[in-house]
Amino acid sequence: MLNVIEIHLFRGKNVFAEANKIAMYDINTGKKGRIYDRKLLELSYRDTGMKKKLISALLITSMTAAMLAGCGGSGESNESSDGAESTTEESEGGKITFMAPDWAIPTDDQLAAFTEETGIEVEIAEVGWDDIREKLATAASAGECAADVVEVDWSWVGEFDAADWLEPLEVSEEDKADIPTIETFTKDGEVLAMPYANDYRLSYYNAKQFEAAGITEEPQTWDEVLEDCRKLKSTGTVEYPFAIALNAEEKTSTCLMWLAYTMNGVVWNEDGTLNEDSVLEALKYMETLVNEELVAPEDKTSSGMDAYMRICGGTASFLTGPTSFVSRSQNEEICSVVGEIEAILVPGKDAKATQTMALPEAIGVTKASENKDAAKKFVEWYTSADMQKQLNESNSAIPTRNSVLEELINDGTIQNAGAMLEEANLISSPFPNGVPSYYAEMSSAMYNAINKMALGELTAEEAFDEMENALETLINE
Amino acid sequence: MKKKILPYLLLAPMILIMGVLVFYPIIATFSYSLKKWKLTAPGDIHFIGVKNYYDIVQSDSFWYSLQNTIFILVFVVIFTTIFGYLVASFLNVNVKWSGVLLALAILPWALPPFVNGILWKFVFFSGYGFLNKLLIGLGFISKPIEFLSSRWTLLLVISIVVVWRSTPFMALVCLAGRQSIPESLFEAAKIDGGTSGMVFRHITLPLMKPFLAVGITSTSVTAINVFDEIVALSGYSDLGKNILMESYLTTFTFLNFGKGSAMTYIVMFFALILGIFYLRSLNKEVEY
Repeated sequence: MLNVIEIHLFRGKNVFAEANKIAMYDINTGKKGRIYDRKLLELSYRDTGMKKKLISALLITSMTAAMLAGCGGSGESNESSDGAESTTEESEGGKITFMAPDWAIPTDDQLAAFTEETGIEVEIAEVGWDDIREKLATAASAGECAADVVEVDWSWVGEFDAADWLEPLEVSEEDKADIPTIETFTKDGEVLAMPYANDYRLSYYNAKQFEAAGITEEPQTWDEVLEDCRKLKSTGTVEYPFAIALNAEEKTSTCLMWLAYTMNGVVWNEDGTLNEDSVLEALKYMETLVNEELVAPEDKTSSGMDAYMRICGGTASFLTGPTSFVSRSQNEEICSVVGEIEAILVPGKDAKATQTMALPEAIGVTKASENKDAAKKFVEWYTSADMQKQLNESNSAIPTRNSVLEELINDGTIQNAGAMLEEANLISSPFPNGVPSYYAEMSSAMYNAINKMALGELTAEEAFDEMENALETLINE
Repeated sequence: MKKKILPYLLLAPMILIMGVLVFYPIIATFSYSLKKWKLTAPGDIHFIGVKNYYDIVQSDSFWYSLQNTIFILVFVVIFTTIFGYLVASFLNVNVKWSGVLLALAILPWALPPFVNGILWKFVFFSGYGFLNKLLIGLGFISKPIEFLSSRWTLLLVISIVVVWRSTPFMALVCLAGRQSIPESLFEAAKIDGGTSGMVFRHITLPLMKPFLAVGITSTSVTAINVFDEIVALSGYSDLGKNILMESYLTTFTFLNFGKGSAMTYIVMFFALILGIFYLRSLNKEVEY
């Protein structure tokens, strides 16, 4: 056995095998350095063979597992976090689960009143709006019931219908007439969900800024809006007077939809393809707004709501946006120009538009529910006229029943409503055959094309072609 | 008999957990990937072989996302390793405030990725972003730079944000590696006339290789799995989407579970290859 072996310090080989002592030599001078005890230098990672293989295998396995967890995590890992899915058994015997975002959750008192009236207990599963669809999809793929009553956004109804997730509801003709947004949730004559929160496109303008720029009349047409914005900019009143969503997100798609719809009354043809004349005209309008710098550069990358909110910050003078801006524009905490913004009818091509697009939210009963009757009773109660008044007070929900909306505006509960009620009567759906089952993919293609156009990567024509090609592929699938 | 059963009993919980949470999903995902399975067409679920894989490889969108993924991966791995090592070197100096400095250094790692993205969005935002304000204030620019509006600047920003988040972990791993090297080796090298560069190349680096392997492997997984930061910075835009986002959109937004599963498998395969490559190249015999 060797007692000492020699290692050339800077070109040494790992030959520790049987040495007890190790001497260091300088490679340049050949001078002998210190002698070290082998144990001192024995490092765990020097060992080869099984240990290293084991570590390698563990690392590869953990990496692979981490990738899978990362890919599937957002869908599955949240599953049990809020208890949103274990409702099937509990729904038996008059117990149901209601899965909805925070703004749709009734108060404890309201729920207690419902339970007292019907004997049905309601378990609330408060889930983020974005996560609801994902939870439903995950549960459905496993053949399970996510909840008895669920939130149904207007944009989801086509795919929910195609996936056969919703139970048709019975709605009286009277209610249908009172709730125009119900059309969005109707497929082949069957009502799949009942709208509870209204949102339709209404225009807003800052009268004080318009006046400062020498404009005395509210705009009637989209051409007038463009001229007014040019004037607002050229007079230095507002640098970026038009607020519109241009980021790659859902709101940007809906901006194109309502613009084309209010301009020309049509967005899609009967066969589901885009109406070229109408959509291209709307795209060119948006392109003009971008090219003439009438919209803020940050609107291209900030969220749609941030873009809309510029009107409340006084950095925009015109907006066509959600009905919630009636109250937002009156709220001093979030609006610095309270009293200057007026809600007006949406402009059209030659005069005010005769139709507007609604983007309401509804609730529906899942087909997998084991307590459908109780769930339907809940939907009926939740969307009743009385509850709409209560939800307006407790959750600031805009009623979907025009009769309730009228009552709340007339009794002063909703203040400074402007053209809100008048516009509500112009609600109609731009989808000739209902919201399609491929809406999410279509919308994704639309907002990405618009965003690219806003960023200068595409012209309006190219953006239209990109959308049209994507839509044709989806239709032919 | 007792001796024969006991080890299996002790291993059983872990085997069960791994089986249910790792191996079953891996197998199930593979079986899904061979089917046409779109939730919006529940009556049309059937076996289609490798068509999903073929369609994915044929699509421009996939290659675009792959390019973005590779850009982020390369940038993040290189800069996280460099910064992680530098931070570890600073932390290795024994001073009174070492503990506090260490706690501060790992702070970005503790932040949820989405919060991390939001924080950095305030820095790089086109209109009222901190960086634009700073550059305008210092007179370097007159108009805000739109950092998030073009593909490559956006990818650069995303990569910087991920580097910021993953550097602390790399620093910790490097620190552990650095501290496990006996000081006597450095003393010997110093006495024997080794310069700092030579010591680094011939002692520090070779002995830290196994630690770097762990750090780089973890950083690579982080870089491929970037999701929250991209959503926070640019939403679900095509501009900055990586392969993981493509997989998420396909599965949960477009409800195409078959194609989404195939894409997940491609991501996993990609990571597997990378893992093997790293471990083979970095876990070689240590020579010093």
